Amino acid sequence: MDLSLNVNGRPEQFSAQPNELLVERLRDGLGLTGTKVGCDTGQCGTCVVRLDGRSVKSCLILTAAAAGSAVTTIEGVTTPGGELSGLQEALRQEHGTQCGFCTPGMVMALGELVDNTADREAPTEPEIREWLTGNLCRCTGYHSVVRGVQRACSAAREDAPAQPATATAAAASGQEG
Amino acid sequence: MTTVTGETSPQGGGVLGRPLDIREDPQLLRGEATYVGDIDLPGTAHMAILGSPVAHAKILSIDTKAAEQLPGVLKVATAADFTDVMPLPCIWIPGGVESHFPPHPYGLPGSRPVLSGDTVRHVGDPLAVVVAETPRQAAAALAAISVEYEPLTAVTRADEALAEGAPQLHEAVPGNLNAYWTCGDKDRTDAAIAAAEVTVELDLVNQRTINSPIEPRGAVGDYNAATGEYTLYASTQGPHNHRFLLSALVLGIPFNKLRVVAPTVGGSFGTKGYLYPDMPLVLLLSKALGRPVKWVDTRTGLMNSTVQGRDHRQHVTLAGTRDGRITAVRCTSYANLGAYPSTIGPGVATALMGRSISGMYDIDAAFCEVYAAFTNTVSLGAQRGSGRAEAAFLMERLVDRYASEIGMDPAAVRRKNLVPKEKFPYDNGLGWTYDSGDYQLNFDRAIELSGYADMPARKTEARARGKRLGVGIASYVAICGVGPSTRMSKEGMLGGTWESANIRVHPTGEVTVTVGSASTGQSHGTVFAQVAADELGIDPAQVQVYEGDTLKAPYGQGTYGSRSYSMAAPAIALTARKIKSKLVKAGAVFLGVPEDKVVYADGKVFVEGHEDDTENTKTFAELAMALWYGWGLPPEIEPALDETTHFDPPDFNYPFGTHVAVVEIDELTGETEVVAYTAVDDAGNIGNPKIVLGQIEGSIVHGLGQALMEHAEYAPDGQLVSRDLGHYALPRAIDAPFFTLDKTVTPSPHNPLGAKGAGEIATVPPAAAVVNAVVDALSDLGVRHIDMPVTPEKVWRRLRGEAQ
Ligand code: FES
Ligand code: FES
Repeated sequence: MDLSLNVNGRPEQFSAQPNELLVERLRDGLGLTGTKVGCDTGQCGTCVVRLDGRSVKSCLILTAAAAGSAVTTIEGVTTPGGELSGLQEALRQEHGTQCGFCTPGMVMALGELVDNTADREAPTEPEIREWLTGNLCRCTGYHSVVRGVQRACSAAREDAPAQPATATAAAASGQEG
Repeated sequence: MTTVTGETSPQGGGVLGRPLDIREDPQLLRGEATYVGDIDLPGTAHMAILGSPVAHAKILSIDTKAAEQLPGVLKVATAADFTDVMPLPCIWIPGGVESHFPPHPYGLPGSRPVLSGDTVRHVGDPLAVVVAETPRQAAAALAAISVEYEPLTAVTRADEALAEGAPQLHEAVPGNLNAYWTCGDKDRTDAAIAAAEVTVELDLVNQRTINSPIEPRGAVGDYNAATGEYTLYASTQGPHNHRFLLSALVLGIPFNKLRVVAPTVGGSFGTKGYLYPDMPLVLLLSKALGRPVKWVDTRTGLMNSTVQGRDHRQHVTLAGTRDGRITAVRCTSYANLGAYPSTIGPGVATALMGRSISGMYDIDAAFCEVYAAFTNTVSLGAQRGSGRAEAAFLMERLVDRYASEIGMDPAAVRRKNLVPKEKFPYDNGLGWTYDSGDYQLNFDRAIELSGYADMPARKTEARARGKRLGVGIASYVAICGVGPSTRMSKEGMLGGTWESANIRVHPTGEVTVTVGSASTGQSHGTVFAQVAADELGIDPAQVQVYEGDTLKAPYGQGTYGSRSYSMAAPAIALTARKIKSKLVKAGAVFLGVPEDKVVYADGKVFVEGHEDDTENTKTFAELAMALWYGWGLPPEIEPALDETTHFDPPDFNYPFGTHVAVVEIDELTGETEVVAYTAVDDAGNIGNPKIVLGQIEGSIVHGLGQALMEHAEYAPDGQLVSRDLGHYALPRAIDAPFFTLDKTVTPSPHNPLGAKGAGEIATVPPAAAVVNAVVDALSDLGVRHIDMPVTPEKVWRRLRGEAQ
């Protein structure tokens, strides 16, 4: 079937089998190998991308089901070799990555949390950990990642124009899928 | 969160010992690093492996015809296609005892064939491969291969495999017994136990676990018909070692015709240092098809084929006096090697565990015996903290059991038995000689930091909330820095275990360090640059580190057993010293003074006493250029600056530490939550505290995983129940507690940096600390032991008075 996606701001048109997974399209079809595959069962979160802004596991979504949507992958977060995003920079400062295999998925999943933080109360540590439950990391024990998110959230809040905090902390619920 | 109260301790005022930012991180954070799955050579075909669906069977026939007809399929192969390929060898056999193995032509203890032919011995045992145009086509074709099996009875436990009438796995291994291995003094230990005032015993199961690096393994084979050269890209932690084993001992091709490249590797924790069938297969199939052949494992594939860990069933005994002096320890262990001897699995299950059982304690008599057996399960291998974690678990459980028996505080019993500072080097009577340590200082620090004295009050407070609070201590000594090659040969290691480094100073003064080690996430590029820069007195930004490609790097054995920093870094430091001494010699020539008047400091050479005087000084860069030109050098000084060192330490190094876990158990649900965790580790002098902090945090969470949730569970018929991450629990972010971390620093005398292993050491004690805490919380119910993983169900049953 002929499908289209907007990937990292670029329109892509291609023909795909109906059973093709979004992660296969990204990695094998479009050569965007920053998105990783760590499991067969939607458990590890290495394949998380943003689909119309929400973080989703791209190994659990058919390309056909994502058709017409805007997908952001880790390659869309920075230009090649370019300046790190606020979250990436905070994770760098806290050494929130070791082998790096879980890292793109973490950045994509946590990006949603940090983006939503600018105008609300900073997420608490348990909230950050809750948000992270869809992503497995075997190297870091998550601590440096949590520290990185805390750092990124404070930076995001400092940079944001002052606004009354309307959303409650509970808005930071788990990611989809 | 983590609190770190320890001071960092830069050595010599240089850049070593400082928490420099990790230069690898930006690339990883941008998703730009290349892992094996990201390698895309032109014309690549894709391989899929058919693993046995049954644990033990004779193969009557394999029909591949239907698979061959499917779209995109290029080749289907079985064992019959690889009759001239040797089996993958095992290179760490239990030393000093008779061992039985399936044979290997080189007189080595053999391991598994590249594909199983007549018999399959575990679920996932590879017996056929398909190569096709796409991964999907290859996977689809597997389903079209029909195999006729004659089922055989399976056995999955080591003790059962050794019992009379158990199914036999290998003709060459009578009774499935690979080896009966012992260490220590049996008679003395038996006598001490017989004469003791108090003895305590435990039956322990150190359950099988799966390391589960987040990146599954992968391999790409690329044969060049024009040159006859093979290139293997693989997720390996030992490219040189794999090159040696694959070329000489498996494929029978010249060593210099195989290049092995480790790209970025997504975690390993021991598992990616092993030879696996896919490695020779992608090379052989690339040659057969004239195209690169790529294979990337699935998670389920990993669970069914990548080496698994731990898996001991033990009967352990401790003897002591009524007033808390430990007089003897004894262990009888049944170790489960799985279906085939993995590359170094038998050594892990014997020496690495047995020689470590006495831990931090000064014990007069100790003995360990291991029955290492083959069963119908995935082969056993290393697992973060391997061997040492199993040893610490049994000893630290025993100490608590003993403390409760004599009614003494477990901390006091430990304190009383620690090897005293003045006894180093300390022979533990089991084969290890501990290099250095101040165990009392380390122990006291951990006890104090954990707030141990306040635990009774915290227990009362928790009770009011419906929670049972328990506290558990675990101390450990971990042998690292493998190792002295001659010593390892006595342990049955078939190969050298030294490490190497090359430093090349370019004419422009920049420096390239290449090492034989290979990172699987340990930020070698950062810390090895620090080592070279520190020695040479230059800016680390001038130093670039390369590793992982056998074509470019000097020989080395790779990353395992927390050895990279205490083995490769000393090799770098020693090489830098060679460079410095050449610079002094050359400096003497160029400055026109005798050599003994020349000083090297802060990246320059100068005439003694004339540090600030440019006339009498040559900078590092000036000398590098002068040596590159080579003009005016006397015959005894070769041009250029390029030195290599092969470092083989005089003995191992022995990091140690004490961890304290505090758990709360929910009275209603039986759920165990680790609410506080204190760890004080001693890894000697540390290169980059930022790296070590991350490794310690990760290691503790890994250890908590074994205590609370991880279990590779086999059904009696040999099916692996925990075959994917839906059935095998790994700790997630919500499972990690607050950590309080600190360190003590006791340099090792066995290398020029005073370094000890660090990477995995903090995985050694957490399982014991947590189970000790759980037993403490349940002790008033008469609970004396609880097997790992400590699931809510198990605890819930114990809360209701059910026996284990
Ligand atoms: S690959 Fe593991 S969740 Fe998608
Ligand atoms: S950094 Fe290795 S899995 Fe997370």
